[in-house]
Amino acid sequence: MGFILRRLGTYVLAFWASLTLNFMLPRVMPGDPVSRMVSRAQSRLEPDQIEQLRRLFGLDDRPVWEQYLSYLDNIAHGDFGVSISRFPTPVSEVIAGQIGWTILLGGTSLIVAVVIGNLLGIVAAWRRGGLVDSIFPPILIFVGSFPYFWLAMGALYLFGVTLGWFPINHAFSVGLVPEWSPAFVQDVLVHLFLPALTIVVVSIGGWMLGMRNTMISTTAEDYILMAEAKGLRPGRIMFRYATRNALLPSVTSLGLSLGFIVGGALLTEVVFAYPGVGYQLLSAVQGLDYPLMQGLFLTITAAVLVANFLVDIVYVRLDPRVRVS
Amino acid sequence: MTSPTRRRWTGIVAGLAVASLALALAGCTGGTAATDTSGDQLLTIPREDMGTFTRNFNPFSPNAAPMTGQAVYESMLVYNPADGGTVPWLATEWETSEDGLTSTFTLRDDVQWSDGEPLVADDVVYTFGLQKEILGGFEYVDSVTATDEDTVTFTFSRAYSPALFEIGQQVIVPEHVWSEIDDPAGETNPDPVGTGPYTEVTTFQTQSFDLGKNPHYWQPEKQKIAGVRMLAFAGNDGANLAAVDGSVDWAPQYIADIENTFVAKDPEHRAYWFPPTGSTISWQLNTTVAPFDDVDVRKALSLAIDREQIVAVGMNGYTVPADCTGLSGAYDTWRSETVVESCDWTSRDVDAAGAMLDAAGYPLGEDGMRTFADGSPFAFDISVGSASSDWLSVANIIAQNLAEIGVTVTVDAPDWPAVSAGYESGDFQSGIVWSNNAPTPYQFYRGTMSTETVKPVGETTYENYHRLGLPEADELLARFAATSDPAQQTEIVDGLQQLFADNAPVIPLFPGPEWGAYTDTRFTGWPTEADPYATLSTRAPTTVLVLTSLEPVVS
Repeated sequence: MGFILRRLGTYVLAFWASLTLNFMLPRVMPGDPVSRMVSRAQSRLEPDQIEQLRRLFGLDDRPVWEQYLSYLDNIAHGDFGVSISRFPTPVSEVIAGQIGWTILLGGTSLIVAVVIGNLLGIVAAWRRGGLVDSIFPPILIFVGSFPYFWLAMGALYLFGVTLGWFPINHAFSVGLVPEWSPAFVQDVLVHLFLPALTIVVVSIGGWMLGMRNTMISTTAEDYILMAEAKGLRPGRIMFRYATRNALLPSVTSLGLSLGFIVGGALLTEVVFAYPGVGYQLLSAVQGLDYPLMQGLFLTITAAVLVANFLVDIVYVRLDPRVRVS
Repeated sequence: MTSPTRRRWTGIVAGLAVASLALALAGCTGGTAATDTSGDQLLTIPREDMGTFTRNFNPFSPNAAPMTGQAVYESMLVYNPADGGTVPWLATEWETSEDGLTSTFTLRDDVQWSDGEPLVADDVVYTFGLQKEILGGFEYVDSVTATDEDTVTFTFSRAYSPALFEIGQQVIVPEHVWSEIDDPAGETNPDPVGTGPYTEVTTFQTQSFDLGKNPHYWQPEKQKIAGVRMLAFAGNDGANLAAVDGSVDWAPQYIADIENTFVAKDPEHRAYWFPPTGSTISWQLNTTVAPFDDVDVRKALSLAIDREQIVAVGMNGYTVPADCTGLSGAYDTWRSETVVESCDWTSRDVDAAGAMLDAAGYPLGEDGMRTFADGSPFAFDISVGSASSDWLSVANIIAQNLAEIGVTVTVDAPDWPAVSAGYESGDFQSGIVWSNNAPTPYQFYRGTMSTETVKPVGETTYENYHRLGLPEADELLARFAATSDPAQQTEIVDGLQQLFADNAPVIPLFPGPEWGAYTDTRFTGWPTEADPYATLSTRAPTTVLVLTSLEPVVS
């Protein structure tokens, strides 16, 4: 328990630090949201209209520390303010409307990549020099080293446009209304397949190699030899003895990756026109939409910290050494 | 794709070993958009710069959902830059007094809001009050009064002839709805009440939304299409793919090599039209720093650049070179041929450019490079936003062209916000920039030459980044604003063109094209070069003209 409380303290500190960074970083970028909006739209506005827009967006000219205090106060009340690039929609509404798709896409592809990648890694390490070990690593590294954008465009063009097997854009067929019906769920899955596949394909190699490497060092441990000497079944040794111990680094990276899911998959969203927060984050940064940026970064920070905290708790369960120290 | 109808793939895709996720792809998904000709098909339009939509139909919001000011709310008149004509819309006629201090608009008396209430003059009065309160502007309007049910009178603090279009193109909102709203600026107006042809939000998702017919539209005979469907895309690539694939009817975004990528897929039905009616794109030189404060240097640099190449290579051949009036294709009726013929600094002449720079005191050194008076090399930057790949290649062509006359130009391409922050504060050397675009050339010349728009370096400005002002221009602009007599206006604009040609405040490159492509497999009646009743823009006031002219194909 003491361990968890100590960790919690660290997290609170980390959270405060990231809150402060969230606040400071956007404000050192040149320009202000209104001038960016004007230059982006290439439109002509009278100076008094620009002033009016500033007032409308609630841009304040107060000293930075005052802004900082009210920022902390608002965050504490769960008030992220009103988005500027989506004015007058509240930030929470902008994020809520899109994060579901982001989590669906990111979560599905992460889980699939982790499960398949780790299994391949386990098998490859267990049968070193075998079929899995000699075929998959080179192929996956080859595919994984393609620029993602190129790979996604290629997949979209081949499977979506040329072969017509998969829809080429959006999260579900345009015209449908989201509902919990088999037809709609199926439609969503069909639309999800290609974007998720491209993410899985580029990320799976890392998981596989990571697992393979730790597995190889684990299988050299004395307790594996001991287990073999006791005459345990190979399958039991592989999963219950070797894998369990080799899993720890994978769990750590899973925690990190879980947190980053909510940042969105920008390139996937761009290529497949898949709704999500990734493109929103990009346009928020480009438009200097402070409230939306803060809201999104905060969501990401919170998700990373929560995921890490969960991993820490799981670690206590998985690794007895942590409990002792 | 080999066949026009989309291939359906029925069967099972199983492939994920552990999750054993089996996806049955049934025929009911997707693809129907391309072939539906039941008569109820929705006009499908991509929006390439919004990854997702938010349900905000507030016309006073700078980020309202697409079509808010096109299909939902309407203005009193519509100015069409493609043919220079003005179409009466919610107003049937308008009149400006002799002294230019009052304008009277007569409203159509058969117009109803989409909730069935009639449009009255008080709605117009209320709209202008709200507009000034929320967004400002119209500082020259003293009062707006409803003389009777159908007549609105505007009085001005000074004669200002461009007011007609600025007032006329303001979209009108219903007083009976908006007066009930506590905070109009912060209202997202999810279910708008407008006078437009397609006001009913039938579905709204983050990736797409549909607008259905206004049940009380004032020209029901023109509501031939069943509705409008907007699709969200996070970038041009996705939107272009949808256009190429045939799942959208209208493609108002930039498509590279459109002849091959888009039209060639179905030449019988697909076409594009890029009228040069956008704003003039210029190469601006910061005239507060030497040597750009010297008009001969500006003209010499202009003489050295190859606009034909800029247009053909940098802009894909989608537009035409600018002339020395600086006017875009939207102002063809104003253009003075006398001025165009009298000046030559926009046609390439490398020798003349070199001679002018020699004369101006920037001699060619032995190494083939020019130097300033103090012996330092004649070198400067062009700043362009890195996202504009077309303008970036324009800047590179300029750099190559100027190398030929011994001037070194470095293309500096950070992201747009950083570039425009430099423009706004005057902290730049040169850059490629858009210009003001309005129904008359007044705003263009005001933004390039008037002293009123010149701000000292360090002070933020949103126009006249190059910071050049001419008292003669002020005088002409004031006279233009004060008269509404067409003959007199033409004469004044001739003077402004001459002034521009003499002073080269910026170096005009080409008029920005208005992107627009379409396929007529599902809808016919598109505006074309032969029938320019509107442009193919989906964000302009003229969009409503297209929406009320298209007819569905019924088979």
